[in-house]
Amino acid sequence: MITFLTRRLLLILPTLWVIGTVTFFLMRLAPGGPFQSEREIPKAAKEQLARMYGLDQPLGVQYGRFLYNAARGDFGPSYKYPQRQVRDLIGEGFKVSAELGGWALLLATLLGVPIGILAAVKQNQAADAAAMGLALAGVSVPNFVLGPVLVLVFSLGLYWLPPALWTGPASRVLPVITLATAYVAYIARLTRAGMLEVLRADFIRTARAKGLSERVVVLKHALKLGILPVVSYLGPAAARIIMGSIVVEQIFAVPGLGRQLVNGAFNRDYTLVMGVVLFYAAFLMLLNLLVDIAYTQLDPRVELR
Amino acid sequence: MTARPHLRLLAAFLAGLALVSCAPHPPAGATGDAQWFGSLTPPRENMLRFNNGVEPETIDPSVMSGQGDGRIARMLFEGLTSNDPHTLTPIPGQAYRWESSADGLDYTFHLRAGLQWTDGAPLTARDFVYAWRRVLAPATASRSASMLYPIAGAEDYNKGVTTDSSTVGVHAPDDTTLVVHLAQPTSYFLFLTTFYTYMPVQQQCIERWGNTWTAPAHMVSNGPFSLRSHTQAEKIVAARNPLYWDVKHVALDGVIAYAVDDLNTSTNMYKAGMIDWNPSGYIPAPFIPSLRHYRDYQTGEFQSTYFYSINVTRKPYNDPRVRRALNLAVDRVAITRDLLKGTRRAWGRITPDGYPGYVPPAQLVFDPVRARAELAAAGFPGGKGFPKLKITFNTSEDHRRIAEAIQAMWKRELGIDVELQNMEWASYLQTTTALQYDVARRSWIGDYLDPMTFLGMLRTGDGNNRTGWSDAIYDALLRRADHEVNAATRMDLLRQAEARALEQGVFIPIYHYTTHELVKPYVHGIYHTALDIHMLTRVSIDPEWRQHVPIAAGSR
Repeated sequence: MITFLTRRLLLILPTLWVIGTVTFFLMRLAPGGPFQSEREIPKAAKEQLARMYGLDQPLGVQYGRFLYNAARGDFGPSYKYPQRQVRDLIGEGFKVSAELGGWALLLATLLGVPIGILAAVKQNQAADAAAMGLALAGVSVPNFVLGPVLVLVFSLGLYWLPPALWTGPASRVLPVITLATAYVAYIARLTRAGMLEVLRADFIRTARAKGLSERVVVLKHALKLGILPVVSYLGPAAARIIMGSIVVEQIFAVPGLGRQLVNGAFNRDYTLVMGVVLFYAAFLMLLNLLVDIAYTQLDPRVELR
Repeated sequence: MTARPHLRLLAAFLAGLALVSCAPHPPAGATGDAQWFGSLTPPRENMLRFNNGVEPETIDPSVMSGQGDGRIARMLFEGLTSNDPHTLTPIPGQAYRWESSADGLDYTFHLRAGLQWTDGAPLTARDFVYAWRRVLAPATASRSASMLYPIAGAEDYNKGVTTDSSTVGVHAPDDTTLVVHLAQPTSYFLFLTTFYTYMPVQQQCIERWGNTWTAPAHMVSNGPFSLRSHTQAEKIVAARNPLYWDVKHVALDGVIAYAVDDLNTSTNMYKAGMIDWNPSGYIPAPFIPSLRHYRDYQTGEFQSTYFYSINVTRKPYNDPRVRRALNLAVDRVAITRDLLKGTRRAWGRITPDGYPGYVPPAQLVFDPVRARAELAAAGFPGGKGFPKLKITFNTSEDHRRIAEAIQAMWKRELGIDVELQNMEWASYLQTTTALQYDVARRSWIGDYLDPMTFLGMLRTGDGNNRTGWSDAIYDALLRRADHEVNAATRMDLLRQAEARALEQGVFIPIYHYTTHELVKPYVHGIYHTALDIHMLTRVSIDPEWRQHVPIAAGSR
C-alpha cells in the first residue's frame, strides 16, 4: 500500500511537468499577448509591463522561472488583474466551483443510485422503462438548454428562484440542478448495469438460497459490488463536475474556477491559465488515486501493487 | 475607450439558445404592470444594484481604460470637475471654480476648502500633482496616459524623453490652488478634467500598499461612495462616503455593481428584479425590438461608430480609388434596416453625431454606379483581376451577419470575391495592430465631446490608426487645428480633415451606435448621455414609486 502510494505520487510529478510544459508553450504560441487592448497602450508602458512580468527575457529563461515558481506552487500575480495573486484567484474560484460541484454530485448520487437499483430490480418492467427513459432524456438534454429553460420557468415565470449569482441558498438551486441532471442519468445507468451483472452472480444466488430477504440481498450484498462502476466513475466525474461547470457558471454568473480559466485564456493571462491548468491536472490525478484506494475497500479481489 | 467582448463567443452561442426560451413578449395594449419589464419590487435596502459587465481590469483610476472600470472610478473618486448628469458638461467637483488665460494655455483651479480623503486625511492640490505625475510615469504603465498629453511636458515624460517629473505642467502653489500649463490650447481640456485618468489618488496609500492599494481594506478614495467589498467575477459593493463634500445630496446608501459578462444572464437578472439598472451593451441585440415597448427601456445616441478599416499598406488597397469603390458599394441603409431591425442608425461618417459647434462634412452614400467607375479607373473593370479580399472580424454573430451582407454587396456591385475570417478577440487585436489584414471590422467610442477623439486616430503613426494611412494634407489640417484658439475656425479645420479622410476612403463607416438600457421605475436620476456615462451621485430609489409614477390611461 505504502509503495503503491509513493509510486503513484511520484508518477504525478512528471505528468504535471509535461502538462505544464505543453501549456506554457501553447499559450505563448497563441497570437496576441496579455497587454493588448483595443486602445493602443503607449510603447513605454508596454515595455514596462513586459519588464515587470519578465516577458522581456528570452523564452528559455521565462520557462525556467515558470518551472521554479510552479514547483513552489506560486504563480505570481495575474497578468490581467495584477493586484490579485493567481493562488488567491484559484482558491476563491475553487471554493465556489467545489461547492457547486459537490452539491451537484451529491444530488446526482442520491438520485441516480436509487433510480438505478430500482431499474435493475424491476428489469424489463414499466418502472425500468420509465427510469431509463428519464435517464436517456437527462443525458440527452445539454445543460445549456436545461439551464435557460429552468430560468425561464422558475425565475422569469414564477419568480421563485434567482436566475443568477451565488448569494444565498436560493441561488444555488438552479445551477446545482442544471449541473446534476446529466450526472443523475449517467449514474442511474451505471448503477443499473452494475447491479444487473451482480444480481446474476453465484454469491447472490447463494444469499437468496440462504433465505435472506430481497432487501438485504439487494442493498447489502449486491449493491456493494454493483456500485463499483459508479465509484470508478465518481473520481473523474468529480473532477469534471467541479472544473467542467464552465457553461453552468456562465449561464448563472457563478464566480467559479471554470469561468476564471476561460476568461484567462481569452485575456492571454498566462499566469492564471498555467495555475488553473496545473491545479486541475493535480486535482484530477489525486481523485483518480482516491478511486483506486476506494476500490480495494469495496472489492476484496482488487489489490494495490 | 475600449469595450471588452471576452466571453462573447460563448455568450453569443448561449444567446441563440436562450433567445428561443426567454425572448420577452411585446405587451400589445399593455396596462398596469405589463407596461414594465419584469419584477417591480424595489430593493430591500437603499442600494442601487446594476450589472457592470466584465470584471474590471483594475479599479485604479490612473491606470484603467475600460468602460466598466470607469463606472467604478466615477463612484469612488471625483476629479477637479464632475459631469452634469444629463449633458455631461463639466460642473464643479473637487474644484469649485477655475479660470483660464486668454491664449487658452493656462488653467487655474481652486479647490474647495476642507476636502478629505475617506481616511480623514486632508485632500490638497498636491494630491492632484502626485496623481497626474503618477499617470505619466512610465513605471505606472497607465493605459490612458495619453489622455494627459495636452498638458505641457506630459508626453515627453511619459515617453521617457525626460525623467524629470517636474517638467510636467502641473503645479500646486498652495493647498487649494492647482495651476496647469498646456502644450497647446485644448478647447476640450475642461472636459478632460472630468475623466477618470485626471482623478486624484492618495500617495500615502499607494506607497504603503503598492499593487494591493485598491483592495477594500486598503483603498482610500474621495468620491461620493467608498469601497466596501470586491469579489472577483462577482460584485463590488460601495457605501455612501460620509466625508464627501456633497454628501447631503448622495441619496443612496450604497451601490452594488455585479460582474456578469453574459448578456442573457444580465437581462434575466433585470427581469427577475435582482438588478435595478441594466446598462447599455448588456442586452442581447435580438431582444431589443420587443423590449422597445416597455417603459423601462431607455435609448439614445451614443458617441460611437462601427466601421471597417482598410489596410492601405497592401495592394491594391493603397489606391484611393479602390478604397472609394469599396466604400460606395456598401448599402448602409439596407444593413441597419433589414439586418439590425432599426436598432442602429446607418452612418456614412467617421465622427458620430452631436458635437457642439461642429458642422460635419456630408455623409458617404450608397452609389454603385460611381463605385464601379472608381474600380474600373483603378484598373479592375467589373472586378476583373482583383485579388480575393478578406474581411477580418472578432467572433460575434452580429459582426458575421454584417460581414456576410457586405460580402454579398461587393460581389454584386463590384464583382469582387470576398472571404470572411473571424478571430477570437486577442488574435484579432494582434492581427489588426500588426496590419495583417485587408479589411477589418472596428469600432470606436469617443472619450470626450469633440471630433478630435475620432479624427486623432487617423494621424500618421497614431497607435490607433491601424490602417497604415499617412497623409500630409490630413496631418497638416489636424496640426493647424491643434494650435487654433478660435473655436469656429478650429471646427472648420476639423471638418476639412474629416472630409479629406472620407474622400480617401480609409474607413468604411457603417453604423452609428445607440444605447439601449433598462431602468426600473423606482430608480430616479439615471439618464441617457452621449458618452453612456452615468453619474450615480444623485441617483435615488423611491420605494413608494407607485404613488408617484403616473400610470398610463386605461389601466387599473
